[in-house]
Amino acid sequence: MIEESIQELAARSLARIAAADTAEALEAVRVDAVGRKGALAEISKGMGKLSPEERKRIGQVLNAAKQQLEGALDARKQEFDEAALRARLDAEWVDLTLPAPGVGRGHLHPITRIQRELEELFISLGFTVLDGPEVETEYYNFDALNIPPDHPARDMQDTFWLDGGNLLRTHTSPVQVRGMERLGPPLRMIAPGRVFRNESVDASHEHTFYQLEGMMIDRDVSVAHLLYFMKTLLTEIFKKPVTVRLRPGYFPFVEPGFELDIQCLICGGPGCPVCKHSGWVELLPCGLVNPNVLRTSGIDPDEWGGFAFGLGLTRLVMMRYGIDDIRHLQGGDLRFLEQF
Amino acid sequence: MKFSYNWIRESIPGLEEPAALVERLITMRTAECEGVEATGQLLAEAVVARVEQVEPIEGSHNVKAVVDASALGRRTVVCGAKNCRAGLLTVYVPVGVKVVSGVESDGMLASGAELGINNDHEGIVELGSADDLKGCAPDFVIEIDNKSITHRPDLWGHHGMAREVAAILNFPLTDPAKLELLPEGPAAIQVSIDDLELCPRYSALVFENVTVQPSPLWLQNRLTAIGLNPINNIVDMTNFVMAELAQPMHAFDAGLLQGGTIFVRSAKAGESFRALNGETYTLEPANLVIADAGGAIALAGVIGGADSSIGGTTKRVVLESANFQASSVRKTSAALKLRTDASMRFEKAQDPVNTVRALARAVELLREVSPGVRLVGGVADVRREPVAPPAIEFSHAWLERKLGRTIEPERVRRILESLAFGVSEPSSGEYSVTVPSWRATKDVSMKDDLVEEVGRMVGYDSIEPKAPLVAAVVPPGSPSRRYQHEVRDLFTGNGYTEVYNYSFLSEEAVRAFGFDLAGHIRVLNPIASNQELMRASLLPGIWKNVTENAKHRESFRLFEIGLEIHRRAEGLPEEVPHLAVAVYHREGEGGIFELKRMAECLMPGAKAVPVAARSYEHPARAAEIEWHGAVVGRLFELHPRLVEVGRAAVLDLDLKLVEALNSAKVKYTPIRRYPSSAFDLSVIAPLREHAVNLETAIGGFAGPLLESVQFVRQYAGAPLAEGMKSVSFRLTVGSAERTLSSDEIAAVRAAIIEGMRGKGYDLRV
Repeated sequence: MIEESIQELAARSLARIAAADTAEALEAVRVDAVGRKGALAEISKGMGKLSPEERKRIGQVLNAAKQQLEGALDARKQEFDEAALRARLDAEWVDLTLPAPGVGRGHLHPITRIQRELEELFISLGFTVLDGPEVETEYYNFDALNIPPDHPARDMQDTFWLDGGNLLRTHTSPVQVRGMERLGPPLRMIAPGRVFRNESVDASHEHTFYQLEGMMIDRDVSVAHLLYFMKTLLTEIFKKPVTVRLRPGYFPFVEPGFELDIQCLICGGPGCPVCKHSGWVELLPCGLVNPNVLRTSGIDPDEWGGFAFGLGLTRLVMMRYGIDDIRHLQGGDLRFLEQF
Repeated sequence: MKFSYNWIRESIPGLEEPAALVERLITMRTAECEGVEATGQLLAEAVVARVEQVEPIEGSHNVKAVVDASALGRRTVVCGAKNCRAGLLTVYVPVGVKVVSGVESDGMLASGAELGINNDHEGIVELGSADDLKGCAPDFVIEIDNKSITHRPDLWGHHGMAREVAAILNFPLTDPAKLELLPEGPAAIQVSIDDLELCPRYSALVFENVTVQPSPLWLQNRLTAIGLNPINNIVDMTNFVMAELAQPMHAFDAGLLQGGTIFVRSAKAGESFRALNGETYTLEPANLVIADAGGAIALAGVIGGADSSIGGTTKRVVLESANFQASSVRKTSAALKLRTDASMRFEKAQDPVNTVRALARAVELLREVSPGVRLVGGVADVRREPVAPPAIEFSHAWLERKLGRTIEPERVRRILESLAFGVSEPSSGEYSVTVPSWRATKDVSMKDDLVEEVGRMVGYDSIEPKAPLVAAVVPPGSPSRRYQHEVRDLFTGNGYTEVYNYSFLSEEAVRAFGFDLAGHIRVLNPIASNQELMRASLLPGIWKNVTENAKHRESFRLFEIGLEIHRRAEGLPEEVPHLAVAVYHREGEGGIFELKRMAECLMPGAKAVPVAARSYEHPARAAEIEWHGAVVGRLFELHPRLVEVGRAAVLDLDLKLVEALNSAKVKYTPIRRYPSSAFDLSVIAPLREHAVNLETAIGGFAGPLLESVQFVRQYAGAPLAEGMKSVSFRLTVGSAERTLSSDEIAAVRAAIIEGMRGKGYDLRV
């Protein structure tokens, strides 16, 4: 009798659980069926009248029904929770194609970018990076580099002269001398920096530009060593093997002195407008350090030798990025600078 | 410098290589060529022709001429030249048939300019005889970059370049100077040199029965090809010798000289000199002059005088072939801003041996260009006793070590001898080399110079790149550079774009910022008047960046790391690396707090201390940045006077100082085990009371349990009294040993409230 009413209650409650369409309706079922004052609790109250055997048996039936109903209630509740979560998440839809608020990344100057790349390359090859003043003495800019006063080689570099007798360095080569004086041999150094020439400015000429000077002083440094370093350097710079050639060039601080050309990277040799149809592009002056320069810097040329080179950093930057107007580099126009 | 390939070939019999190949070889072995240009190409097919008959063409200024064009037969041409007349011997070029002025014209009669013989385009060439055109030929002109022969006095003449070409191609070289042509006997003119240092040699010859007339066409053709203007036979001859032997010469009209002596002396102070170019120069003792008894007749090594120049009536000529000190000529030429073909050569240190060689060549040429000319007397030749430079000695092993390749000793000897060096038989691997006089003035003096001679001739392309064997050492670091790169990364990472500005400023910009003009170093020869000062601040540059970019952008961020250059009493100026940053917003309150945050990111614990504004700063928005007790820079908004629309906040830091203060070591402190507690307090203060003062005062009353005081917000308005604000702080208290009790926390709070009230502040608690 009791057993039947339990089963009937269970069946009815399961039907109500299945039919509940809101969390509130489900809660009402829970209260009605398995709540502290619910139908099952009501039934268990009447169990005191039963015999111990009956009580035990009915108790088991009652428990089974309670577990069944609670399981069904939980399962149904979970369905409601999940549906509610789904609904919330769905409501939280955002348009991810909208622009992100806040400030975007800033941009390094293209010369800084290339200069850093080269600094890292040379440091990895055991070179130190040195700095020298932009305002230089005549001694460091010319005399110590084997360019005495009234030497026609001074014409090669149109110089800005300053009151007080100093000048704006026309090349980064004075840092060679300062480096040799300070660090002595053996020495591997580069000196990137700003240099000045008294030239009118147009799309391809600037009075202010950047060079990267390099020097190695050691025992028995040869033209073959210079070639090795230049090839390594240029292969890294251009990210592909380059063909180089040396031809005679005159720079008073080196002897012998060279102009280093690379095979045109645009046409690969047959000739094109970029290389003026020669197949070669003049890239950097270099040479073995003139013994007079070593001697002036306190280094014995019978014991030590070296090579030096001067890379036109500005020119390299223009080549790398295909910049057609040198004036952009010091123009401060963000429409240009934000491209790098 | 332009070189005629025909001229080079004259010294190298049998040389038939194409000019383009020779140009490439010169570039790879000797000096940089800038190109080859064909000249006088019409001369290839030009023939001598006689005009037989001329008829006018109705309605045209042209005429119809029938010419007898030698082997080409009779031709009818239309000619526009005024001098086209029957009987004229001229030059005909078969350029094809075309109709001109309605008449069929077969070929053309050519002017000197069209043929590349001279610059005469007034009319067609007039020949005296059929032989006049001999020696005029199409040519190739090779242009050499002057910078690449700065060190080579000998390459300022065709013979020197011919020697290089002969050596490269292994051809024999002939010498155009025949010394046996020089006359013997006493000279017809005296020479007196004051200082043999300034003028190591002065040679001269006197000629008479000179006829001044146009040069033969072949000579005009040569000079024209290399860019010199034909003038008359005497002047052209001296230019020819200069272009051939690199020895500048000068011809004086002997009839216009006073006395029989040529003096080489320093100019008198204020001495006046009228030069061939028509200008009058006031000289100084630093200028060396050639003088006669009456005064200066030439500026030594630079230019001749107008008063003794060759003219139509000249009959007697003194021909100067001298050697002057390179630096003296260069100084004079620079001081008077007078660069000439002569000064350009002398400043490269010419060879004193060359003076008489040039005279010998002149004798030969004068006989051809001025028939009937007679030599008077022998060569006047005053000189410093030449000192042969010492032989250069080096070992074969050393040479190979320098080059980085092996080479046979015999090849070394062959190369050096082809360039006229004297080489002793290499014994046990040692060389002793003598230098030819024309390479010994400045160019070659040490063994390293010979590495170049051997290297370039054997070909640098024959050297294989080789990695050097060097010690593996960590190079000395570059801390400042590294730090500046870190700063760049911080700012670009936060949206700032790096700019580079010029190191030059205008006076106007310096004045706009109220900077002291006297503190700025001045450029003596600026490119333009707005670039005459060296920047002692990055701010004017940044200001320009702001105003320029504000034309295109509503807001932007930029920065520069660059050197400020400050005058010092002595020696080099002080160069101080600075960081200048700007944030611009066209609308709103501006970005000064963003910059303050950036300053704090760069310098944790840095403070902005409000100070009196400078003239270019917003009077109510300016502060000094203090870090570790030092003022390292300023934070401000540019004065609205400088920024028309919007606001530009600027941060300017002395990076050298910042870097020095940055070296503080990092030390770890354990994380506290016991929880801290926080409570808020609001202080009522006058509107312009600095929050930092309240914060400091609160901290002072809080005692040792205080962990931090943080600004939360501030508020002004009802119900606060007019002119007052409420500033809220969050205080965090705690202990490393225990969790604080509520009584302890309340005690701290009470102490602060009492303390602040004692200072006259009301608190909203």
